[in-house]
Amino acid sequence: MADVPVNFFHRQSHMTDETISTERSRRGFFAGASAQIGLFAIVALLWVIFSTLAPGFTSPINLFGIGRSLAVDIVIGFSQMVVLATGGMNLAVGSIGVCAVMLTGFLLQDAGMPIPVALAGGLLLGGALGWLNGFAIVKTGVNAFIITLASASLFLGAMLILSKAVPYNTLPPEVGQFGRMRIWGYVSPLLFIAIAIGAALYVLYRHTLLGRQILAAGANPRAAEMSGVPVGRVIIISHTLSGLLAATAGIMLVARLGAAMPSVGGEDWLLPSFLGPVLGGTLLAGGSVAVIGTMIGAALVTTIRSGLLVLQVGNFWLQLFLGLILLAAVMADRYRGVFLERRSLGRK
Amino acid sequence: MVLAREEFMKLLCDAIRGLAASSILAGLATFGVVGLAQASDNKIALIPGGPHPYFAPWEQAAADAKKDFGIAAVDFKVPQEWKLNLQTELVESLAAQGYTAFGIFPGDAVGINSTMTELKDSSIPSAALAGCAQDPTDAAFCLGTDVYNSAYLGTKELIKAMGGKGAIVHLAGLLVDPNTTLRVKAVETAVGETNGEVTLLQTVADTDAQEAADQKINALLAAQKDEIGGMIATGYIPSVVASKSLRTLGDKRIKFIGIDDDPIVLEAIKDGFVAGTMAQNPYGQGYIGAYVLDLLAGGGCTIKEDATWIETPQTKRFIDSGTLVINADNLTTYKDDLKKVTTDIQSSFKDKYLTCK
Repeated sequence: MADVPVNFFHRQSHMTDETISTERSRRGFFAGASAQIGLFAIVALLWVIFSTLAPGFTSPINLFGIGRSLAVDIVIGFSQMVVLATGGMNLAVGSIGVCAVMLTGFLLQDAGMPIPVALAGGLLLGGALGWLNGFAIVKTGVNAFIITLASASLFLGAMLILSKAVPYNTLPPEVGQFGRMRIWGYVSPLLFIAIAIGAALYVLYRHTLLGRQILAAGANPRAAEMSGVPVGRVIIISHTLSGLLAATAGIMLVARLGAAMPSVGGEDWLLPSFLGPVLGGTLLAGGSVAVIGTMIGAALVTTIRSGLLVLQVGNFWLQLFLGLILLAAVMADRYRGVFLERRSLGRK
Repeated sequence: MVLAREEFMKLLCDAIRGLAASSILAGLATFGVVGLAQASDNKIALIPGGPHPYFAPWEQAAADAKKDFGIAAVDFKVPQEWKLNLQTELVESLAAQGYTAFGIFPGDAVGINSTMTELKDSSIPSAALAGCAQDPTDAAFCLGTDVYNSAYLGTKELIKAMGGKGAIVHLAGLLVDPNTTLRVKAVETAVGETNGEVTLLQTVADTDAQEAADQKINALLAAQKDEIGGMIATGYIPSVVASKSLRTLGDKRIKFIGIDDDPIVLEAIKDGFVAGTMAQNPYGQGYIGAYVLDLLAGGGCTIKEDATWIETPQTKRFIDSGTLVINADNLTTYKDDLKKVTTDIQSSFKDKYLTCK
């Protein structure tokens, strides 16, 4: 059900009445699942088309490249999805990611710390910066757009001042080796990390009270507050989680590049962070998440990007296609929102 | 039975005819009579960091290298933007399509290394062209402009044009670019050698973008025009912008040395608004790069470890692709001079830097 768009009124009944209607759940499940099956079918169709037209598309080197890019894009998408669930957004995902990248690089190279400690340090910084965002949003009451827009520049600026934009390129070789590792000849281990994170998020939203509280707060904060949901707390938790996931994506890139560079992340992550969740069915208005949908949405974008490259469609067309996809996703989101609203009104 | 024998004989004759025709064609191909034969089956890609006019000559260089060295394919492929991930994705997709060697201008001197390592792991050689990858790297070599030498010679040329005295301004590229640091040092060294006759008034950095260059250079000229005796640009865009600004001012007193051979700069040299420009050799980088990569990808040659490489702060395997001053005297002939430099490097490359079977 975590992948089912959660209607607030429906959810409200879950929150107030502990008995969940099986019939409604099943109906909702099939409605949400069908959207994702449709998206999956599009991805599958594209794979058939690209592999038929360009045999190199399914070559081990390309499959490995797709998997590795996809893994990072999925986690970037998750870092946005967890705040979209609350009806907010995080424009600082890229800045948090690059801050974690540079701290990890510093701890590994200059401080000479063991790899697990350095990774934990990077993740902690990501979580802490996310917590700062959430705290500022809750305490000031200012829109997440404004707060995260400001913090994006703040975090990035501080990172550049502290690191002097000098990359760390003599990291322990194991870091780069992990990024280049191939399982069964063409699968990146980074993909398994992304899938594991997806599974954990699925459990969070589907099976835990905190997950349901986040969705309820996202659907209608005032009603959730009246129902006893600590809205401020779940917003802070969501932003902390977002920071943690952005840091994870950043550290995955460190493994991919074998170096910690100040030029990764930043504004470049904004588009993929929204594309995956929105294409997958996460509502921009909040109250709904689509974990598997986000993974399929990211797969769609990665597939199109790789397919057009292998087909040698002019590189300059890629941007046009990605823009069209985003536009289609936003329109689909709008349609979905209207559809859900009508359906819930019809049930009342 | 008779019919069957006739059929058999007919088939046999057809087969003999086909075999004979094939043999003749093969023979013709061997002796180069049929122009379809390729000396090499390699597919080579020349990939800049992103769209930039500097790399435009690579397209012609790729076409010429394909023709001159009989390489199956030499293609110029441009990432859609100056982003490392777009460049590495392009490299990966081309490797998936069977490209056997890559000449790359690193989108990031450090970040490109993991991709180059992966290419090497797949027995695909790569070289850094026009700009180097940071050591430790699996790039076979780096063929580019010796930026320190180019900036040093350019400053000397500027000082000569100024009559050996006055104040100069250095219009530099991105501060975070290691090459900018080298260029700043080179200008300072050349100025230092004048024993105070020439002073460095200011180094204006981060001018390698159109808007930034427009604002900074025009503000500089508006505020300090009378104090400036000369200017040197070490980036493509400030070179073009300064040439335009000096023409607009109409003042030929300020001497200016630019970089690269954009038509706007060349026209300004012709009309006397610009003293000269430091030519780089992008065509040669692409042409020689493709030639060497073909030798490496074929498996017949390997890099000679003990060759006389130039050592730079970025890499220990640097080769200077050549630089020269373009001024009013050689405005019409400089391309021939560059071609000669290219031919010299290409013809001696095998002996100097490679070990071939």
